[in-house]
Amino acid sequence: MTNSDIPADPEADPKLGIADQALLLTAVCAIGLVGNTVATDATLVQSVTGIAILYVISMIGVLLTQLVPFGLPSVAWISLVGIAATLPWTPGSAWVLEQVGHVNFLTLATPCLAYAGIAIARREIEIAKTSGWKIFIVALLVMTGTYVGSAMVADLFL
Amino acid sequence: MTRTGEILLDWRLHASVLAITIIAELIGVIAVPIAIGSILLLPLLYAFVMGLLINPNVVSRAGGWLRQREVRAASPLIVIAIMPFIAKFGTIIGPSMEQIVAAGPALILQELGNLGTIVLAFPIAVLVLRMGRESVGASFSVAREPNIAIIADRYGLKSPEGAGVMGVYVIGTLFGTFIFAILASVLATSGLFSVEALAMACGIGSGSMMAACSGALAHAVPAMEEQILALAGASNVLTYATGMYLCIFVALPLTEKLYALMGPKEDRA
Repeated sequence: MTNSDIPADPEADPKLGIADQALLLTAVCAIGLVGNTVATDATLVQSVTGIAILYVISMIGVLLTQLVPFGLPSVAWISLVGIAATLPWTPGSAWVLEQVGHVNFLTLATPCLAYAGIAIARREIEIAKTSGWKIFIVALLVMTGTYVGSAMVADLFL
Repeated sequence: MTRTGEILLDWRLHASVLAITIIAELIGVIAVPIAIGSILLLPLLYAFVMGLLINPNVVSRAGGWLRQREVRAASPLIVIAIMPFIAKFGTIIGPSMEQIVAAGPALILQELGNLGTIVLAFPIAVLVLRMGRESVGASFSVAREPNIAIIADRYGLKSPEGAGVMGVYVIGTLFGTFIFAILASVLATSGLFSVEALAMACGIGSGSMMAACSGALAHAVPAMEEQILALAGASNVLTYATGMYLCIFVALPLTEKLYALMGPKEDRA
């Protein structure tokens, strides 16, 4: 057992460098590519182009996370780059949209959840067992609360 | 050899994820009809379950194939693997910018709805379940990574508050995608809320929960798919950006105040 069995401890995951992230992202995109050809009617060429663009967007986001000292997480930067690339007034946005249109959004989440299932550490199983049924009920209410709460407020102002 | 080299060379890990992805996508989306609508089972849910089934910490007989080494290597890959998904979501938000700006006030104010965790969970934790200070950590937020950091910083993770936030974090990790997929599909068919409102509420601040939530919603109301994904994605980005501040300046102080009012007498300040 090492430190990395402690989930979500900010110190637990050693920070990956840019080159490391670029390499691992390639592996992940390759899996996504296979998933997309299974899940959709897109040809291999269409899938490759679409995923290559998503790769570039992700990497620009990763670079921005390192360069801009705002403390925004990389996922926030990646979203912003993806938004900026496809705004109606961005040059070439129609082409980008057409290419990424061949990639199914839900399929891209599938490998991530597979990694998440494999990453569950012994300590997390122990926490789930020892926290008991009370925490389980509270967790259910927490998730229902944030969802219904947000939907209620949104409905009021729509 | 570098650490990344080692992670890449964990070929059993990546081969397993590849196989799981193919199987999950071949099964596809299944709708299970229930009394008040239908529950949608998504490939990402099967992928998570299959990942658990080959995890030696969950099923000890799986230890022959994956070892602790692969389990540890999988953890940093969760963040990497969600990146192309988040990039794709960005490209769904971009073209709908005008719609999102039009929905702006609702979109921004619904972030306050995340305080619903306190409204619903805190009173029951304290008054019904008679929990102590762990109820503060358990119910002030939806207990994702940034929220854990806040609790770790203020109370330490070994404190009762730390136990509370970690408990909800783990339950969320294990069951969150299922719970949000069920909530979204049931509420979409109930007609209680508008579909746009349900879409915005999917922005929870966790990529996989948002995927399950908006995916289920989009399959329940296919005619509005683009709009659902754009609103959910925009709301999720907003939560990434504002969630931490809402927690530090509003949610946690509010939960502390409520604990002082409603908590066990000996704990009251």
